[in-house]
Amino acid sequence: MKPELYDVWGDTVDARHLLYAIVIGAIVSLSAFFTAQHFLLEWVASAQMARAYAMLVGIVGCLAGGTLSAMLFKPKRHVVEHEADPAWRSRVLSDLQNEFGDLGRLADLPPETLKELQDMDLYDLFIEYERGLESANKDPASAIRAESSTDLVVNGGRS
Amino acid sequence: MIASLFDQVLIALGMGILGAVIFAAIGLISGSDETTTLAPLTLLVVLLGVPAPGVLTFFLAGAVAKHMTHAVPTALLGIPGDTMATPLMREANFLRNLGVPHIALRKMISGAVIAALIAVPMAVLFAVMLAPFGDSIKRTAPWIFLAAAIAIAWFSKGRLAAVLALIPFVLIILGLQTLTGQYGVKLSVSYFLGIAIGPLIAALFAMLAPAEREKMRRSEVRTFSLSPDVKNGGGFFPNPLKVLDRKQSLWTAITAVISSATFVFSPVAMTVIMGELVGSRVKHVYHRLTTVITARNGVTESTYIAEALIPLIAFGLPLSPVAAGPAAPLFNAPPRFSVDAASGEVHNLHTLLNTWEFFGYGMLAVVVAILIAYPFTMNYAYRAASYVSRKISHEAVIATFVGLILVIGIWEGGLLGLLVIVTVGLLGGFLSRFLGFNIGVQFMGYYTAVLTVPALVALLGA
Repeated sequence: MKPELYDVWGDTVDARHLLYAIVIGAIVSLSAFFTAQHFLLEWVASAQMARAYAMLVGIVGCLAGGTLSAMLFKPKRHVVEHEADPAWRSRVLSDLQNEFGDLGRLADLPPETLKELQDMDLYDLFIEYERGLESANKDPASAIRAESSTDLVVNGGRS
Repeated sequence: MIASLFDQVLIALGMGILGAVIFAAIGLISGSDETTTLAPLTLLVVLLGVPAPGVLTFFLAGAVAKHMTHAVPTALLGIPGDTMATPLMREANFLRNLGVPHIALRKMISGAVIAALIAVPMAVLFAVMLAPFGDSIKRTAPWIFLAAAIAIAWFSKGRLAAVLALIPFVLIILGLQTLTGQYGVKLSVSYFLGIAIGPLIAALFAMLAPAEREKMRRSEVRTFSLSPDVKNGGGFFPNPLKVLDRKQSLWTAITAVISSATFVFSPVAMTVIMGELVGSRVKHVYHRLTTVITARNGVTESTYIAEALIPLIAFGLPLSPVAAGPAAPLFNAPPRFSVDAASGEVHNLHTLLNTWEFFGYGMLAVVVAILIAYPFTMNYAYRAASYVSRKISHEAVIATFVGLILVIGIWEGGLLGLLVIVTVGLLGGFLSRFLGFNIGVQFMGYYTAVLTVPALVALLGA
């Protein structure tokens, strides 16, 4: 059967899997809690402490239910190993320019940051950028118009 | 005497380790909101009767560890680790796209270490400075809470709508309290949990409404790109001061001090503002990205520490967004801890620990969290991110929280407790979604109902 995918609370779920997971979570956690409460009320002198411990067992039950669901239902995510493509990096610079305007000069940087850039193979990228700016005073708008390919997945709004 | 002190320190150490380990793991799960996780687990620790130092170290070490490991999904997967990580997404994504996510990660957690170590003494210092005003603040607490609720609402996304929405929200809480009171049930945790978990409850209800469900539909699974593993220099425990350059350490320290003093503001807002403050003073864009992300993650630590410690030490009243939210059980966890607005009577960590104990156990918690979460994040970030994104389904996370709602609700008030969680959660979730009436405002609304309204009624009746 074709999965019915929905965005719930910030990530993707399959509706049927979600329903099963909730049922499993409810059954496991509540039976842990009620079973623990039943026995602890007899064993522990203070009823209040017995109930607090029963809640602890119930929370362990929540985790057990979650673990069971994690084993039964695989994540609905496609995870790929992704190394930023060097060809993209110049695109990122134009995105950065859109966001911040002037990117600044390497001459402003302290030596340790310059070394960091060299270690990360980013030094040449910024050198080229500066040369490009100086030489032809190239219209930066052309670079800016290049479509942004960097998909900024900001997945907030959960709370 | 010496032996009992030794026992206390040992308990504090053990609870600190426990908190750091649990919340270092929770931090890896993207979107695991601080309030939803810290508040119920801290409450549990309080109610189980753990001595006061252990309660404090559990909470603080948990918060500090979580705000280090939240850098893993934020930097490597491009999804915010929790609510406090949202303001870091822009810089994290740019650095990821430049192909240096591990730099983002290393800088973030190094900033966290420095800021956390600075924040504890600063928070104690500011608390001592404020303490002389403590009594007058306690006496006028109901009105201060009302003012704080209105201010926090005004500065939320909802602006005037959020301020006005406080009225029906407070009325609903009063109505629910009256209802449960008729059956002899007095609830508090259920309100906290309902507010904290409201967005999930609202989303689950929306799933059941055909029109809303269509809006939530996706045609295919989302693709996440995980940045590859890069071997780091600096050994198992790199010196944070060497991961950062001097300017970055300095800015992290400055923003940590400032954000420790401004304990009444929203921690997310402080993180944003401090980042802007730093960003405007760094010229080169790469340096700006790395410095801003360092300082911002530092602020996620320092605001949390200060917003919990200052009100605890100086007033014993939950007078900050963190104290009203994730740290609420440190102030108010009946029957063990209580805040009585009418008499200004307080019985919680404020009365159980003195200033030096707050300082000592606070530092202990921070050091324990650093020793656990910092090397873990430095060395195992890639493997942790890969495991969580490939093995832990969102269905399982939701199932765990649904279980939590059921257990806590029924434990505190039986069916009535459960109904209160669902009612408050549904209302709060939708108010937050449509009006920007966020969780912080809702917590202040709860305190307004509990503290201000009785004082108001007394005033009008007199």
